[in-house]
Amino acid sequence: MKISEMNVYKQIQRCLICIFLVFLLCCTVYGGTEEFRILYVNDFHGFAQGDRDISSGELQGGIAYLAFCVEKLRSEKHSILVAAGDMIQGDAWANLFKGKSVIEIMNAMGFDAMVVGNHEFDFGQDVLKERISEAQFPVLGANVVGFGGLRPYIIKEIGGLKIGIIGVVTEETPQSTHPKNVTGIHFLPPGETVEKFINEIHEKVNLILVLSHVGYTNDRILAHRVKGIDIIVGGHSHTKLVSPVFVENTIVVQAFEHGKVLGVLDVTLKDGKIDGVKGRLEEIQPRTMTKHEIIAKIVERYEHAIDALMNVKIGEAEETMSAEYVRTRETSIGNFVADIVRETAQADIAIINGGSIRKSIHKGAVTLGDIYSALPFDNYIVALKLRGREIKDILEHGVSAVEEKSGRFPLVSGIAFTYRPMAAKGSRIVTMYVHGKPLEYDKEYSVATNDFLAMGGDGYTTFAHAIQVAPNYSSTGGTLTSSKLIYNDAGRYVRDIVADYIKTKRYVSSRIERRIQEIE
Amino acid sequence: MILYVNDEQITFFPGMTVKHALINSGYMEEIVAGKKVYDEWGNELGLDGALSEGTRIYVK
Repeated sequence: MKISEMNVYKQIQRCLICIFLVFLLCCTVYGGTEEFRILYVNDFHGFAQGDRDISSGELQGGIAYLAFCVEKLRSEKHSILVAAGDMIQGDAWANLFKGKSVIEIMNAMGFDAMVVGNHEFDFGQDVLKERISEAQFPVLGANVVGFGGLRPYIIKEIGGLKIGIIGVVTEETPQSTHPKNVTGIHFLPPGETVEKFINEIHEKVNLILVLSHVGYTNDRILAHRVKGIDIIVGGHSHTKLVSPVFVENTIVVQAFEHGKVLGVLDVTLKDGKIDGVKGRLEEIQPRTMTKHEIIAKIVERYEHAIDALMNVKIGEAEETMSAEYVRTRETSIGNFVADIVRETAQADIAIINGGSIRKSIHKGAVTLGDIYSALPFDNYIVALKLRGREIKDILEHGVSAVEEKSGRFPLVSGIAFTYRPMAAKGSRIVTMYVHGKPLEYDKEYSVATNDFLAMGGDGYTTFAHAIQVAPNYSSTGGTLTSSKLIYNDAGRYVRDIVADYIKTKRYVSSRIERRIQEIE
Repeated sequence: MILYVNDEQITFFPGMTVKHALINSGYMEEIVAGKKVYDEWGNELGLDGALSEGTRIYVK
């Protein structure tokens, strides 16, 4: 072989070796299989001690048990732990500390990200900002405008992979909380927002995860409409997706509620794309599981704090407000609670059910525990516009089972009425006066009640029918308007409002004022 | 605005939860008795789950 031919041959050889090395490098980077795990919860609502099944009474969940599971599963492969909203508000374990207890737990568990849920706003914007500042993980809210502290997305690195996590919350947030909690805040359409941020980050990440608090139905719509979402971890609808659901090219998951289950999604990538997923829900069963000791200690510390809070004097009752006759006649405790309900909603009238009050408030020191015993239900205040004839129907229903000592018996404020208990049901009401003036059948009044009655509980169908959404119902720019619904604060229970009232007034009393009178 | 419980139409109320829909439609007692609530895809729902217009839920 001539020298020139040898040189060419060597050059070709070198080129082939280079090409082969580049090929090998590409195989190493792109031809390998990557795996990681997503652990997820949603709608925890502060149920750190677990939640009892309404039928069987069986205890499910318990954050110390869930945390043990998380730690074990995390040790098996690269993992992230995320929360799809509604974490800090709900159970007394969270509410009494305005969510601080939950953030402490989440920090201890090493959450990687959380999206705000609608209920995160229930303690007010200042409190939410405080909670966000305490969180050692990013809190997301890409479609929330006018509220600082929320990030639209993060890029999380796990084992060489980059995951873009975008967080969105339901546009209907203003409908489920007091208007003051969302003053100046707008909730943009989630779909358009997600699309915008996908365009911004998709070239920087291996996959896109949407942490969504919009509900399963809307997650499915999001998956249909928006291209480029690999995974949606959802919340808001409290849906128990026992295995991942595929909608178009998007994987949708959701982990029920209250920490009763832990979501586990194992993702395999090949050549940078999702090659397979395996998902399940780990049932959290306190009877058979092990506690994470550090988390258990935090839970216990707050339990002790709750016990202490329950025994703290919040005010003084000048007279005993007895609950003995709340189901059959006017009582001072009924007047007391109904007055607070009416004043809070700034309504003309309040009507609540006698069955919502379970214990008396005794003369002397009043503790938080006394109020929680007196008003044990998770009822919140709703106010509607009702016509006088509808109010009459409501009162008729209220007294229709007085002989049975039914819980439906009405406790009222702003209205006084007389009735004949021996008359035929539906025809017992004789007179009705609103702030001293005869009730007018065609006039509209604002009536405060609780959500249980508003939904038709205790047979109050008139309330429920009255909430036929008016033709002019709308939710524009995050603000609800309706000609019927004028107050709806799902974030504060009646008992907490009553407790706060007593704390403010210090000395409380109420008396019988002949608001409800029987006529022979 | 409406939604459905066991295919029976009820009025949708802003901020309504599954529990509210059950109270409104009279099915709450069945839940206390041991039945569960499911969405139209057969997934169990928590009682505090939010509902949206047009939702169909089933008690069984």
